[in-house]
Amino acid sequence: MSTQDQSHEVWGSRIGLILAMAGNAVGLGNFLRFPGQAAANGGGSFMIPYFISFILLGIPLMWIEWGIGRNGGRYRKGHIPGMFAAIWKHPLAKYLGVIGLVIPLVVLSYYTILMSWTLAFTWFSLTGDYWGRTTQEAMSEYLRSYQVIGDAAVHDYWVPFGFYFLALGSTIWVLSKGISGGIEKLAKIGMPILFLFAIILVVRVFTLGPGVNGVSPVEGYQFIYNPDLSRIGDAKVWLAAAGQIFFTLSVGMGTLQTYASYLSKKDDIALSGIATASTNEAVEVVLGGSIAIPAAVAFFGVAGAMQVAQSGSFNVGFVSMPIVFQGMPFGQMFGAMWFALLFFAGITSSVAMATPIVAFFREEFGMRREPVAWTVGAVAFAFGILSIFWFQYGFIWEWDYWAGTFGLAVMAFLEVVIFMWVFKPENAWRSIHQGADIRIPGVFKFIMTYITPVFLAIILGWWAVTEALPFLRLEGGVGAGGPIAPGTEIYVHISRLLLVAIMVFFVVMVRLAWKRNRYDDRLGFVEVEEPLEDTPGRALATERS
Amino acid sequence: MTTGALLFLIAAWTFVLGLTFWSFWRILRGKRHFDPDGIGPASPPEVGKFDEYGRPLRRG
Repeated sequence: MSTQDQSHEVWGSRIGLILAMAGNAVGLGNFLRFPGQAAANGGGSFMIPYFISFILLGIPLMWIEWGIGRNGGRYRKGHIPGMFAAIWKHPLAKYLGVIGLVIPLVVLSYYTILMSWTLAFTWFSLTGDYWGRTTQEAMSEYLRSYQVIGDAAVHDYWVPFGFYFLALGSTIWVLSKGISGGIEKLAKIGMPILFLFAIILVVRVFTLGPGVNGVSPVEGYQFIYNPDLSRIGDAKVWLAAAGQIFFTLSVGMGTLQTYASYLSKKDDIALSGIATASTNEAVEVVLGGSIAIPAAVAFFGVAGAMQVAQSGSFNVGFVSMPIVFQGMPFGQMFGAMWFALLFFAGITSSVAMATPIVAFFREEFGMRREPVAWTVGAVAFAFGILSIFWFQYGFIWEWDYWAGTFGLAVMAFLEVVIFMWVFKPENAWRSIHQGADIRIPGVFKFIMTYITPVFLAIILGWWAVTEALPFLRLEGGVGAGGPIAPGTEIYVHISRLLLVAIMVFFVVMVRLAWKRNRYDDRLGFVEVEEPLEDTPGRALATERS
Repeated sequence: MTTGALLFLIAAWTFVLGLTFWSFWRILRGKRHFDPDGIGPASPPEVGKFDEYGRPLRRG
């Protein structure tokens, strides 16, 4: 069997594809990051740049990534090095695409740790393990004991490792079952559960009535949507809004492209892309904005909720919410629902992160899916163990910033330039419209060609000057990690060294793959003929019939 | 809740929910066709007919 035959994957249904894509986009940030960002950046004023960014950045990037992915699928390339090389016939293209392998592996290794917290807290809620800790300080101590190895004040040494093993293991198990048999099935089960739990929690929060401060949960909306128009001209608000749109849609990760590579040119991507983006936005704005902050406002009052929102996303989710659940009837059940909802949001994203790497080794080296998936899992586990051990030294936040924040913007900028400028706007536009169920308004061609890359360049430039350069020089802390403690710089250097090592590894692997398969950078790849039956995406065409 | 906050809430929710319902309505109302790529049958496959013992009935 040829390499290409072994890499054959299909989506079983269009709804399954959209749920998987939406599941990839809907993550912890929809429920934890969005409400805090909105509240801290002017409430209603934040929503104006937020929606403008959605139209100028989010939707165009969504179509561009689906377009790059499906175009790569024509040559059976489900990884960014191959997708870039398919568009830009230059030896450099494949090496630029390496960033699309590094980011998912690195993010997978620490994202599954955050996911394991949600799994652990689901269990702790069900068993009432944190019951009785009704102050911010007591819950913070409980969380810290879980996060920091060596601080066994509450949790045994092995507990975080056990839950991490379960979280990563379940991710890799789903991944090993393939696109249709694993990822799609998970999305079809996980996403409805996520919606159900979120709706139940919203109803529960709004039937709480006024809390101890006499403030109604409805005032939480005042907190998020209050239009502080004095901040509309503030560049930081605009960048915060653009950043939120960027992270929430999971663009720049390399995962949406891999999912789209399993479609054929007869399948629609224009309508599916907008359905995916809008589903994510509905979950974020309607459901994500209606749970944590309204509950915090009811329980801690407006001033207390402001403190909670500014204390960071994880404090909202893992410190404040458990206190809220302790104050309501059937709190253990609702607490378990909250953390299970976050777990499903997390696992539908984490399974997507490993798919580009699995696709690369299957397509280029002819390996079987299961061994590749479990090997990727073992490597991510090894990196994850380091992140758990060195959590208190900011190891995880270093990776989160360079791969999960700055790296995403770099990757998005590269793909916009390659798809809209190297491939040319006319080809990109035609490619997105192949098999399309809708005609995209022509103004988006202009937006995708000029506005989106300029917008991204501004974000990148701003972040480079205000964050990346100071972080690189160890001036101040990175991301959510806070300042670097004196004497712990060595862990920062190790984490950066590992990032460089991972990048070098993938550069070498890409080089080997191109030599092994005798690809000619200047000629490009041979288009895979689509058999009448059994074509990637054929199932979708059949289902529509 | 102030009128300004309420207006922003209504506008934001209407936009995201409207876009979501519109896109799924377009997907679900998609025309059913049996020849998506010009190579398939012109009509849907007929449901088989069986006798009382579950054996397929011969045509003609």
